[in-house]
Amino acid sequence: MTLLLQAVVNGLEMGFLYALVAVGLTIIWGLMEMINFAHGEFLMLGMFGAWGLSAGFGLDPLLSIVPVGLVLYGLGVLIYRHLMRHVQRGDPFTQIFATVGLLFLLQNGAVAVFTSDYRYLSNTLLTRLSGANLHVLGITVGVPLLIGALLALVIFLALYLLIDRTEFGLALQATAEDREAAMLVGIRPQKMFAVAWGLGAALVAVAGAILANFFAVFPQVGFPFTVLAYAIVALGGFGSILGTLLAALLVGVVQSVTTIYLPPAFKDAFVFASYILIGLLRPQGLFGRF
Amino acid sequence: MAPLLELHGVTKRFGGLVANKDVSLALEAGEIVGLIGPNGAGKTTLFNCLTGYMHPDEGRIVFGGVDITRARPERVSRLGMARTWQLVRTFGRMTALENVVCGALAHTNRIGVARARALRLLDFTGLASREDVPAATLTLADKKRLEIARALATEPRLLLLDEAMSGLTPTETAAAVDLVRRIHAELGLTLCVVEHVMEVVMPLSGRVVVLDYGEKIAEGTPAEVVRNEQVIKAYLGAHYRGRD
Amino acid sequence: MIGVLLGLAYPIPLQVAGYTYFQTVGFLVLLNAMLGVGWNVIGGWAGQFDFGPQVSFAIGAYVAAILFVHLGCNPWLGMLAGVVVAMLVCALVTYPLTRLRGHYFAISTVAVWMIAQPIGATWEFINGSRGLFIPMQTGQGALGALASLQFAGRTKALGYYYVAFALLAVTLVLARLVERGKLGFYFRAIRDDQEGAEGIGIDSRLYKVCARSITAGVFAAGGVLYGFWALAVFPDQVLDLNWSTLPTMATVVGGIGRLWGPVLGAAILIPISQIMSTTLGTGPLAGRGIDLIVYGLVIVVIAALRPTGILSLPWGRWTRRLARRG
Repeated sequence: MTLLLQAVVNGLEMGFLYALVAVGLTIIWGLMEMINFAHGEFLMLGMFGAWGLSAGFGLDPLLSIVPVGLVLYGLGVLIYRHLMRHVQRGDPFTQIFATVGLLFLLQNGAVAVFTSDYRYLSNTLLTRLSGANLHVLGITVGVPLLIGALLALVIFLALYLLIDRTEFGLALQATAEDREAAMLVGIRPQKMFAVAWGLGAALVAVAGAILANFFAVFPQVGFPFTVLAYAIVALGGFGSILGTLLAALLVGVVQSVTTIYLPPAFKDAFVFASYILIGLLRPQGLFGRF
Repeated sequence: MAPLLELHGVTKRFGGLVANKDVSLALEAGEIVGLIGPNGAGKTTLFNCLTGYMHPDEGRIVFGGVDITRARPERVSRLGMARTWQLVRTFGRMTALENVVCGALAHTNRIGVARARALRLLDFTGLASREDVPAATLTLADKKRLEIARALATEPRLLLLDEAMSGLTPTETAAAVDLVRRIHAELGLTLCVVEHVMEVVMPLSGRVVVLDYGEKIAEGTPAEVVRNEQVIKAYLGAHYRGRD
Repeated sequence: MIGVLLGLAYPIPLQVAGYTYFQTVGFLVLLNAMLGVGWNVIGGWAGQFDFGPQVSFAIGAYVAAILFVHLGCNPWLGMLAGVVVAMLVCALVTYPLTRLRGHYFAISTVAVWMIAQPIGATWEFINGSRGLFIPMQTGQGALGALASLQFAGRTKALGYYYVAFALLAVTLVLARLVERGKLGFYFRAIRDDQEGAEGIGIDSRLYKVCARSITAGVFAAGGVLYGFWALAVFPDQVLDLNWSTLPTMATVVGGIGRLWGPVLGAAILIPISQIMSTTLGTGPLAGRGIDLIVYGLVIVVIAALRPTGILSLPWGRWTRRLARRG
């Protein structure tokens, strides 16, 4: 029983990080119904950014999330302005295609610059805390992951407040609801879309910077996260931020619990089987606005 | 003889909104029935329920003796009910001919046969010269004709026209009315026409049904319906003082 | 027509000169072109983005390999079996998925693939990740080699090249038949307006399953060919996402929805990759995925400028204009 509880707690912690990974997709989708297969590549770039700053300048990833976030924000905006804006008018196919091309570019650009070697963070706050545990109610909670999860939660909440409580966030929501009406009140959709892409990229890159403390850093690390992010966004209901959080927590827990009973290779398979089931029984996701 | 189409107490709700409330009516084979009512009266919802795109929450729909209350659109089409759409829909990337061929394939597996039938229908609807034009580039009037040709290709017994005249110029409207008459007279179809243009629907229909706020409020010949007090109230407001 | 003759004659001077490497490149072009034509059925005509046909590729490879290894069954019969099994599995799996539309459907195809991967890696019957090896048969004459789909020695690449050529030809003929028949019309109707199609009696779910199953069959056949060429079937190799992304890219670049699109696309993309590998050789940029960067660029450019592919450019007008000037 404690094993199960342990897995659940672990899963929840990973879930908060997954939420940060997936929420960028939710925003982009909710706003302009675009699919981005290169989403995980931004995560990968965030990881490399954190690694580079750590190995080169000794900057702790928990601090480098700021520069990493800013740079990737800029990259997201650039990509929107110069590529996605053109394919937005096209059919979904073309959009999927354009982002697949982007995936190839970014992933292999990274291979060209960094080679496919695995790299690890060392000597950062969280790696140094590795092995430190809290003992709560008979469950062992690893401190590094806990800190990472809490940080992710804080950022997530900040985002939620941004979208829900600020004027800017309202403008974003308005554009998502009705583009033309938003234009009539002076909101420029193009600007909103660019910001959405910037935010999306920044958020997932920040998640990457945090995750770099726990995972190996290499150019191909992104795609599995992309697929997982999609499953989460779909489960939570494309376009719902809170739904994304809840779905991410669920996915984290399912993944974690699955590893108790099935060989580790199946950890993601179960998540995807659930996605398919939910897709059939409740296509709007668990909390979606369809 | 049993009616071709029967509706018994059809009710459709969307959350708190009752789009169709206890609608009952019957269509005899060979009729042209007009379905009118102010905007939001539930006419298109009724069509959607008839053709299987939506399913009523209560009530039954019987077509040619077959209960189609929960049938899917493909089944309804194969039983002989065809429709056109309020916002015209064609297979944009295919040519006009190919569009109609798709309809004709409902009754044959051979392209040659389907093609011949499609060509005849293009001719019948006046689109013979547009045979190889991609449907997306046709004018609105031509698109509507194409939609009708495609629907006719499925050899229906009943054709539902949803605001087929909207957006047409007077000349185009006259041509469309002529087409509808020919469909009735030469092809012997039963028709149910949703229309807002009174000068069109009144002369065309043998019988008119009026919906308002989802309920049927009147039914009868055009002359009867026009004098019906409830109908006048629905269209013109309770305080309207008529000229007679 | 010229292309066909070129295609037929292409490997011969190379064989004479001993450059079998280029024949292998040709083999890959033909194989991917064939898969592209298959993908075109679900992606180009039915208009449903599908990331999952590599699962059918794997099924085909495994069925034929197992039948051969355990029962000594002839690979051509194995191909037939593989195609049938793949189509059945695809139909069963796809039917429930057809309830999903657009992006949701695309993701569900990825989900199926993600579920297939650990199954492939851990299923003992197919040897899991240890892979299945196909014993080589040597000393057969040309006809024997053809019958057992195993070419060896100096004519190895040549043999596989022509088999791939023949399979591509068969696939193109079949695709043409589908395109011009009722299936082709119905697929395109679903692509252009699914609800409108339902209104004229088209069961969209059934036909989507049909389209995807046809794609599955083509991929399965390709998988068998690949398996016997490689003489081994490994789960991570035959389930590699590249087996669907490369044909998909080829189709989009060449002309989505057009019969020859995938062929043109494969003929352009794969040589680019090979030229990159050879010119970069073992230099400092080797193995750095430069060819994939180029692919990425090509795709992005095509997506932004001409999403309907190269074949959709107004070649007819341009050649007429050139002819008038000259």
